[in-house]
Amino acid sequence: MKTPCPLLLLIEDDPRFRLLLTTTLENQDYRVLALETGKEGLLAARNRQPDLLILDLGLPDIDGQEVIRRLRKWSELPLIVLSARNRETDITQALDNGADDYLTKPFSNAELMSRLKALLRRVAKLPGGVQEVFQVGELKIELTKRRVFVSEQEVHLTPIEFRLLSELVRSAGFVVTHRQLLEKVWGASYVEHSHYLRIYMGQLRHKIESDPTRPRYLLTEAGIGYRLFEEENV
Amino acid sequence: MRTEHNYKHWFWGIAIPLLLTLIDWPFRDILTASNILMFYLLGVFFVAIRFGFWPSILASLTNAAAFAYFFAPPIFSLAIAEPENLAGLAVTMLVGGVTSKLAENVRHQARVAEQGERRASALYRLSKELAEARLETEMIEIGVRHLHAEFGGRNTFLFPDRNGLVHYPDEPPLDISLRGADLQVARWVFDHGQMAGNGTDNFSDKAATYMPLNGSTGTIGVLVLEAIHLRHIFLPEQRQLLDTFVNQTIHTLERASLAEQAKEATLKMQAETLRNSLLSSISHDLRTPLATIIGAASTLETDDHLNEDTKRKLAGAINEEAQRMSELTTKILEMARLEAGEVVLNRQWYSPEEIVGSALRRLDKKLKTRQLNVNMADGLALIHVDAVLLQQVLVNLLDNAAKYSPAGRPIDIAVDTTPFGLSITVADNGPGVPEALQQKVFDKFFRIHPESAQSGVGLGLSICRAIVEAHGGNIQVTNRSGGGTVFQLHLPFLECPPTIAPEENELMP
Repeated sequence: MKTPCPLLLLIEDDPRFRLLLTTTLENQDYRVLALETGKEGLLAARNRQPDLLILDLGLPDIDGQEVIRRLRKWSELPLIVLSARNRETDITQALDNGADDYLTKPFSNAELMSRLKALLRRVAKLPGGVQEVFQVGELKIELTKRRVFVSEQEVHLTPIEFRLLSELVRSAGFVVTHRQLLEKVWGASYVEHSHYLRIYMGQLRHKIESDPTRPRYLLTEAGIGYRLFEEENV
Repeated sequence: MRTEHNYKHWFWGIAIPLLLTLIDWPFRDILTASNILMFYLLGVFFVAIRFGFWPSILASLTNAAAFAYFFAPPIFSLAIAEPENLAGLAVTMLVGGVTSKLAENVRHQARVAEQGERRASALYRLSKELAEARLETEMIEIGVRHLHAEFGGRNTFLFPDRNGLVHYPDEPPLDISLRGADLQVARWVFDHGQMAGNGTDNFSDKAATYMPLNGSTGTIGVLVLEAIHLRHIFLPEQRQLLDTFVNQTIHTLERASLAEQAKEATLKMQAETLRNSLLSSISHDLRTPLATIIGAASTLETDDHLNEDTKRKLAGAINEEAQRMSELTTKILEMARLEAGEVVLNRQWYSPEEIVGSALRRLDKKLKTRQLNVNMADGLALIHVDAVLLQQVLVNLLDNAAKYSPAGRPIDIAVDTTPFGLSITVADNGPGVPEALQQKVFDKFFRIHPESAQSGVGLGLSICRAIVEAHGGNIQVTNRSGGGTVFQLHLPFLECPPTIAPEENELMP
């Protein structure tokens, strides 16, 4: 069965960068709808039913963050934000607002493609919900049975450690912000208590990683959040 | 209250002579008249010392009357028959009067000294607190509290905003702050540099008194004081004390703002110097890759006869040089941001392990073939740092270690606590840094071998130092005994790490 090429909506105000991205993406067999402003973009997101949105945070008319907020009121459209480097706060805010992933400029084509594929893959999987068993490398997690194995050896986690890990599994391959993790694992009143997260993440790494200083699975996105490594099973 | 007090004094002025009379009466046959007069004199002294001058005069008079009536013949009559007794009484009264006056003076001086001491100690407490204050808001708060403690009533300090108009403070008021000061009056006082309000000639219907705060450059604000009693602030000594209090506060404020200005000026100057050295030093580093990029790109655009292999090589060159420029601009911008004092540390509690881990991951590709010895002390506490910046420090140090030491030699990373903080060491097995240059390596744009192809722009270590120092720490470079460079950074513990409630039950298998 032949599936139509995914339609990507690109909102980027710099014309040269827009052209570059459009060409690159079209060469990779995506259909691209490239727009300049946030308002046009939001309208197109509603009318053209794109499969994914690539959004630059610095826009001439409405702030990129505002675009995300408005979009998330009615749509679950997969969303990757593009941001200038060294702006961790912007990225964190975008993710907290509901963006799925981010890329910092400058980025390579390969990086963009792998993020795009991962996000589209995740959406394709979603209808069935999260899979029951998550496996990457030597790590295996059985979500409903609440069991975790490393190299076939069962690892005993505390309830909080398990909740933390399963939150990351739910977004495997994608960054989850500190705030999101604190809110989901400990509750809304804990969002400022980042030390809880650090301590439990440390414990979790010591139980799961063979070398906690060079983690393979529980990756840190400095200043933003954590990402559970997911192999690209192309 | 004061008058009631006085009645008591007057009462004792009469009561003590009468008491003495009662005591003396049984001995009237044994004691001579001069003895009795001596006793009376004693009473006058006592009254003078305890109750002041005028009660003691009253005591003297009562003495005279009692003596004349009860002791000087003819008794039970105010008449005094013997001239000897009359003279004795006169001398006693004179001596009583003089000593009363002297005692009064002593009393007064003691009171003045005591008040002086109290004021001095109040002033000392104020100065001490002011000297310890850092922020202007703290200083003002201290001023408000001490004025309240010393003069009673509520008060507040008002300062002009950017437009020079006196305004209510932005900070929430203290419990003891005066609220609802009349801004109109305050502005008048500020503009005219004169007092107004209660107890003065201007706006005297107001409940509070408004005083200009005179700094070295003119009026800098207005003190609004609602005294419980006007005497508390308008009596000469009180007024003087109030002025001293206010001046002390103003001077501290002025000193703080001057220090702030000086700091800003230094920062500006530093930014200026940086900009100049940037311009001279950067042009070379940016133009070289640009020349390649422009050259290669224009060839690709105009030359139709290129074979595929050449095209790929040119595109590869563009990519490579662009990467180099990207790295460079990032570093330059980072440094400029740090230097301009624009960077506000986003301090949070992080585990040292995680920061080292994320730095290693960022260098995954570069360090793939390296042997890394990571030595983490057990049970490291969380540290309160900006993780993104600290990670950058480690990335720069590890990047240097990889760049300047032979490919096959290991890099050692050690993290440990010291009594005062956390120490992180990155050591390589390269040629080391000549001792004479060990201080210079942290300078901006400094390179040991400026023309070497490996060299970057000479900002990596300056960025490290700026970041570590922003955290209140320090960074040093030494040479290893067996050869190699050791960078050691030390981050002080400024706060105790937070603790968390332990989890109750373990997940059963």
